[in-house]
Amino acid sequence: MTSPRIILRGRGCSPGEFEGEVVVSNQPFGFWQGIDPQTGLVIDRRHDLCGTSLRNKAFVFPFGRGSTGTPGIFLEAVRNGCAPGAIVNVKSEPMIVACALLAEAFFKVSIPVVDDLDVRPQDVLRTGDRVRISGTTGVVEVVSRD
Amino acid sequence: MRLTDEEQRILGGVFGEPQRISLNVLVKLGQAYGADSMVEIASAHVVGSSYQIAGEAGIAIYTQLLEQGARVKVRTTSDPGSIDFARWRELKTPPEYAERQIKIAELLDQMGVIPTWTCTPYTTFNVPRFGEDLGWSESSAVVFANSVLGARTNRLAAYVDLCAALVGRVPRFGLHLPECRRGEVLFELDPDLSANFDDHHFPALGYLVGQVTGDRIPVILGLRQATFDQLKAFGAAAAASGSVALYHMVGITPEARTLDEALGGRQPSERHVVGKREIARIMEQMSTGQGGAVDVVGVGCPHASIDQMRRYATLLRGKRVHTGVQLWICTNTVVEEMARRMGYVETIEQAGAMLMVGTCHNNCPLGAWGFRRLATDSGKFAYYTPTTVGTECLFTSTEACLEAAVTGRVERP
Repeated sequence: MTSPRIILRGRGCSPGEFEGEVVVSNQPFGFWQGIDPQTGLVIDRRHDLCGTSLRNKAFVFPFGRGSTGTPGIFLEAVRNGCAPGAIVNVKSEPMIVACALLAEAFFKVSIPVVDDLDVRPQDVLRTGDRVRISGTTGVVEVVSRD
Repeated sequence: MRLTDEEQRILGGVFGEPQRISLNVLVKLGQAYGADSMVEIASAHVVGSSYQIAGEAGIAIYTQLLEQGARVKVRTTSDPGSIDFARWRELKTPPEYAERQIKIAELLDQMGVIPTWTCTPYTTFNVPRFGEDLGWSESSAVVFANSVLGARTNRLAAYVDLCAALVGRVPRFGLHLPECRRGEVLFELDPDLSANFDDHHFPALGYLVGQVTGDRIPVILGLRQATFDQLKAFGAAAAASGSVALYHMVGITPEARTLDEALGGRQPSERHVVGKREIARIMEQMSTGQGGAVDVVGVGCPHASIDQMRRYATLLRGKRVHTGVQLWICTNTVVEEMARRMGYVETIEQAGAMLMVGTCHNNCPLGAWGFRRLATDSGKFAYYTPTTVGTECLFTSTEACLEAAVTGRVERP
């Protein structure tokens, strides 16, 4: 089934284009101790996505939190091909944007990051949606929804 | 963003790939956060020195940068590693793990990073001055440099810190701007609490403040005095439970000579009163599980100062750590050497405690090593233990921690 087209406009924080599936969480997320960089699975037992794979997904969550060591784990996931393919936040902290910029700089992997949308992305996007995301223009478009 | 001629040439690759790549990351980060220009920094501190953080990706990055001729441009110090370089065999660190950490040490050495292996670089070789711009990571060091020393740094991410070191610049936004350093959330201490404020209340208050403040700037009113180590403990806890990068303590920290100065002449956006009840409640939260037999006690997070080493030695003189309990004291090589000369190391080791030098228990898989209950006097360690380390954790005073190591039992404070 296809619904009317949903287009959200925000701020592109890190360039790149993505098309794929969405994983949504209402909780803040810390990649440090939050993701297994060998598999891309969420391992934080306190998190509602524990056990879910973020690999090549558009990961939608309110904001990041945690250690200045965050890019360590994130880039290990990038190197293993297990990192999220795109990130959409209410507000992206510099730690998250840095992860994406470093992935591009050192591993030639583009991970678009978009925040500051006209709506709260976790209210509109649903896990399983197929989306197209541009980190350059800051546009998030739902392509299809079951 | 306005870039200087030199910065344009760096981006054009005139000074080589490491500088070009690094400045490109920093400029893009600055553009995302509204920086108008780059600012030169006096020093950098890098957190990707630990194999636990950097992993194989870090080794790949450092190797690439070195092949391209990377060399730090400003004084740059290293955060703790994942092993004690002198004692890793004794501490039963797997050799293949130690070998990767040693590899990182070699790579950073070749880039000109000063191998301090400490989260308290501000006590030794990397001492910032008031108003200086820095490119630092390590949340506990960032909060100390900003709050206690009045230097200016954002909480840089791992590798962004190295990019800053390689070009000697950071994008000018956030805490580099005086107008972004004003206090926002006010915590007023109840007179009853401030009259009876104990040493272990500093990390507890920091933990509470971090939880409430998140990434905003807290102002603490009502403390009469604080030592260097108490400020260190407070900030480390606030930076772990929240992402506090700067705090003001009225009458104590340099940008808070008065409440009005701390708030930058504005009203706070929130006010909280903290009394004995609030402190008791946060200390409840900082401990998971009940008291009982303890098998590991960790102090020296952030790294112990010479004053703290003296205190541990005094408390341990003539005593013996209980069979089956490990007492770990984390510090850096400089403090270790001074403590050795002062005779403290001998007293500490005679009591059966173990020094962990240039590394830290935050980097150790204590749960995987079969420990079940840990006692600590550190708000930061208490925050990370349940997830990172995977043991039960009891937060209590330094005295009670060392007492627990001797008796083998710990009670909830």
